[in-house]
Amino acid sequence: MPKYLELTLDKFTFKVADDRFYTPAGLWALPEGNRIRIGLSDFQQQRSGDVAFAEIKPVGTQLAFDEEVAVIETIKVNISLGSPVTGKVVEVNPAMSDAPEVINQDPYDTGWMAIIETDHWEADKARLINPQTYFDHMKSLAEEELNQ
Amino acid sequence: MSDPKSPRKIAIVPCSGIGKTYGSVSREAAYDVTGELRPEDTRLVSLAMLVLGDEDARATLAEAPAVTIDGCKLACATKMVRESGGTVAQDYAVLDVYRRYKQFKPQGIAELNEGGKQLAHALAEEIATVVDHSLSQGDKNG
Repeated sequence: MPKYLELTLDKFTFKVADDRFYTPAGLWALPEGNRIRIGLSDFQQQRSGDVAFAEIKPVGTQLAFDEEVAVIETIKVNISLGSPVTGKVVEVNPAMSDAPEVINQDPYDTGWMAIIETDHWEADKARLINPQTYFDHMKSLAEEELNQ
Repeated sequence: MSDPKSPRKIAIVPCSGIGKTYGSVSREAAYDVTGELRPEDTRLVSLAMLVLGDEDARATLAEAPAVTIDGCKLACATKMVRESGGTVAQDYAVLDVYRRYKQFKPQGIAELNEGGKQLAHALAEEIATVVDHSLSQGDKNG
């Protein structure tokens, strides 16, 4: 079980799981051998709003780093999400089509989106940010939005 | 013309969220049911009046079950009906309804786009069916 860095601003609390890596856009990547589980950060899911639909690239899709891996439609926005890793989609969370609200309910666990098999993890990891850096980035974005 | 105080009228309670697309869909659907589809069988109840503890609004809920339409997961309409002593025949969340009608993407606030209007109408049609069922159950139960 991960531990969490937590930020409370106004009535919102945002968690950052400390056992994985992040893109600045708010996707997380959790290595499990040469398979990387990916999902949306708590901050990004709260910021985006309730998810109506999540379309994940199907199993077998080959992706370059930052190539679109998913499109999320929420009550506020449509977001295109770039893959945090180079590789092939080998599994998609079935909940993404049946109950995509799981992204909002449990973003770091049952709300995972896909698993990507890769031979490039070490190179891709160097392009991601660690939990503390993502926390700082998130804090700055959250404070900026709160002050708008 | 039916008696406006008829106990056979189902209360329709939409979200009061102003400035929110899904709240607007909930209200459009409520107006469609109470004004067009089942005007004789339903009564629009304002969530704001329930919050204020309005006697007429509470009395309406005491007479018949309600259909609630919530614009977000806070589900204020459903919670407020229950807190006001009413029973909920069916609760709708606009987001769940949209998931069933993906072709009707709602946008706009003061004025809904065509997708929003179509979504509201689809929801209103579903509610009309619930109203018919609730009233027929009421008839069976005397």
